[in-house]
Amino acid sequence: MPVTHDMPISLLQETVIELAVALVGIVAVTACALLYFRRVRLDRPPVGTFNGRDIGILLAFIIALPFLYAALPSWALTSFLALTFISALSIGYRPLLDRKWLWLGTGLLIGANIWTSRTMLGTVAGWQLWWAELSVLVALAAIAVANLYVQGGMKLRYVAWLALALGAYDVIFSSVFPLTNKLVQEFLGAPLDPSLGMRFGIDNFAIGIGDLLIFSLFAVAAYKAYGPRAARQAFGLIVVFGAFVPSLVPLLVNFVDARTDVLVPAQAFFGPAAFLCYRWMKHRYGRERTMAEYLASADGVARAAGAAEPAPAPEPASV
Amino acid sequence: MFETGIRQLRMAIGMVSGRRLNAGNLGRLVGDVVATLAEFGEPGADAQQLLDGPFADPEERLEFINRSLRRTARRLAVQSPFYARRFAAAHAEPAKLDMAGLRAIPVTVKRDLVERPGNFRCTDVAGVLATRTTGTTGHPAEIWLSRYEMELWPALGALSSLLRDELRPGDVMQVNISSRATVGMHLSAAVCRLASAGCRLLGIVPPDEALDHLGGGGATLLSTCPSYLAELVTAARRRGMGPADFRLRRVATSGEILSTSLAQAACQTLGVSRVDDSFSMTEVIPVTGRTCSHAHLHHDLNSGLTELLDLQTGEPAAPGTLGTVVITPYFPYRDCMPVFRYDTRDIARCLPGEALTCELAGIPATSQVLGKADHLLSLSPAEVVTSRQLIEAIEALPTAPWPARYRAAAYGGRIQLTLPAAAIAGYGDVAAQRHFAEAGLDVDLVIVGDDQASSLRHTRSDLHETMFAAEQALIGA
Repeated sequence: MPVTHDMPISLLQETVIELAVALVGIVAVTACALLYFRRVRLDRPPVGTFNGRDIGILLAFIIALPFLYAALPSWALTSFLALTFISALSIGYRPLLDRKWLWLGTGLLIGANIWTSRTMLGTVAGWQLWWAELSVLVALAAIAVANLYVQGGMKLRYVAWLALALGAYDVIFSSVFPLTNKLVQEFLGAPLDPSLGMRFGIDNFAIGIGDLLIFSLFAVAAYKAYGPRAARQAFGLIVVFGAFVPSLVPLLVNFVDARTDVLVPAQAFFGPAAFLCYRWMKHRYGRERTMAEYLASADGVARAAGAAEPAPAPEPASV
Repeated sequence: MFETGIRQLRMAIGMVSGRRLNAGNLGRLVGDVVATLAEFGEPGADAQQLLDGPFADPEERLEFINRSLRRTARRLAVQSPFYARRFAAAHAEPAKLDMAGLRAIPVTVKRDLVERPGNFRCTDVAGVLATRTTGTTGHPAEIWLSRYEMELWPALGALSSLLRDELRPGDVMQVNISSRATVGMHLSAAVCRLASAGCRLLGIVPPDEALDHLGGGGATLLSTCPSYLAELVTAARRRGMGPADFRLRRVATSGEILSTSLAQAACQTLGVSRVDDSFSMTEVIPVTGRTCSHAHLHHDLNSGLTELLDLQTGEPAAPGTLGTVVITPYFPYRDCMPVFRYDTRDIARCLPGEALTCELAGIPATSQVLGKADHLLSLSPAEVVTSRQLIEAIEALPTAPWPARYRAAAYGGRIQLTLPAAAIAGYGDVAAQRHFAEAGLDVDLVIVGDDQASSLRHTRSDLHETMFAAEQALIGA
């Protein structure tokens, strides 16, 4: 049963719970994304691979997204989010599930969350059910999208640059123009709020889908680029700068200026750390492996041996 | 990834709308293919459909053909003086044209092109490069290309070559076709540039010169015509060269008949698994055909319509019969000097009605080209001998007389076959006649001196290009 509180909890308790939620979410999603990468091959389009300009397009989309959130009426926003989740899940889990079960599962997850957010948020148990549904949906989407991008050719270099840019974005939109804080508060409880989290007592603890996506991308891209050792190093970096540092910062801020309502921009810490880590890996390990080189390597062969879905056979060469 | 999607969408919209395609967009799409191959080693699973189109459904295919014909005819009726007159004379309504109505429009023959080239030039576009047919079968025809065509065709060629793994970034293509075949030369160089491959344009130089460049891993691809391939194989065997001396992974030929014997010899000597024998022709560029492993010739559906017409009636050839290949390149793939229902006079056999089972079964096919219509030998009303039959038989002689030099005439229901002495040297008349009989050819042999060999049958390899290095006697003179 979930713990309930009638009174606000102390900052230390809050920090510990936030850390626990972040750790569980980050570790579970990142590990599952890696596992997925090792075992499942997604279909890819005949032509196309991720390049630097795609990162620019992605960033522009991410920057525009909060304004879209603020501008759209709630029904349109819910529709937009539903479409996004449906796309992510249908592409990501098509190799694993029969079409019937895939659509049924996706529909149930999305439908249940919309229903719960409209009818059951009057109680802590209702909130916890809402968070549980949302967490599963968000985790599955983050795992799928991270794999779609990395299996689509996104290199660690691009992930590092994206993380760095998002770090700057996070700082700007949480400190200079506090749009992120406003959105987090406004959309709490809204259907398909793109966050993973849980409620304990009167407090909600969450981590955004964007953060989970970047962590998963970084771990998977490091594994693809340089193998298991690099993946372990990336994993350690994610745990430290993605979970511990952002969770512990409120304690430090409170110690300094006694504020307790701090929204911590996780990418502000993780982005620069990820970028430096990538530079170090590049210096230490050299050129990144391509997807073809990864598949031909022992890591790729190990994956193939336990593959849940075999890689699509290439078209016979025409003569 | 996102950009590539947008480029593919732009290309698809262009193809559906029938407006001129953006060659720059296609060029960037080729860059995307190169990047895709660098990352994944191969294109994604649906690459074939991207190239060949979703034409498995006959109704959908017919609808596409009718739309493309109308689009092409509408433009020609306004911009091409020759076809404006021809459509008017045939009382054809371009906007209502379809496969059934197409038969009312007479075929265009090479004589039309040679005698009135200016009338074929569209008035809404400027020509920037003129190219001529090689003229091995008569007076050469001159074809003008627009800048758009010169940019579009290489992009389309590079796209299909890369996606079909016929060309890879890092390949080096050696081109041994006549240097006067400016379109072929331009296309080869431009396709390689777009595909990040190297290109060596050599022309029909002395075979030893070409072998010097091919050997030692100097090229991974060879593009030539069958007769020059014959000279290369002969020279390589004379020099004792074998597969270990080459790094070739593909040999492609077109423009002439490639015999089975020569193809096998080329594979053994040059170390490739097969010789790709495709169909292309200056007058109907960019429409091409590919030969499958079942020796069918599959005709490109996207860029043009290929008909096979009965030689006597001009109606579609019946299954099993011979017909002449008639091609209509569609707008917007042909721009400056288009032809409509161009009779290539290349003969092919209509395949039996059964469904195809080859790897290109989704694309309509005929037999391989069997020769020129004017070179058919009619032994009786029911028996016709094609050039391919003769070339196959001659090039299968144990003397390996490649390329086949011969002259053939029908004489009292038999074939009078003139060969140079070298073709049967050490083999004998009797054995040679038995050899031809086993190939189903009842021949009377006439043997002439080897000095007359090249006058018996012209081949593209006769378009020799001299080099100062090959004229050693003059050096220091």
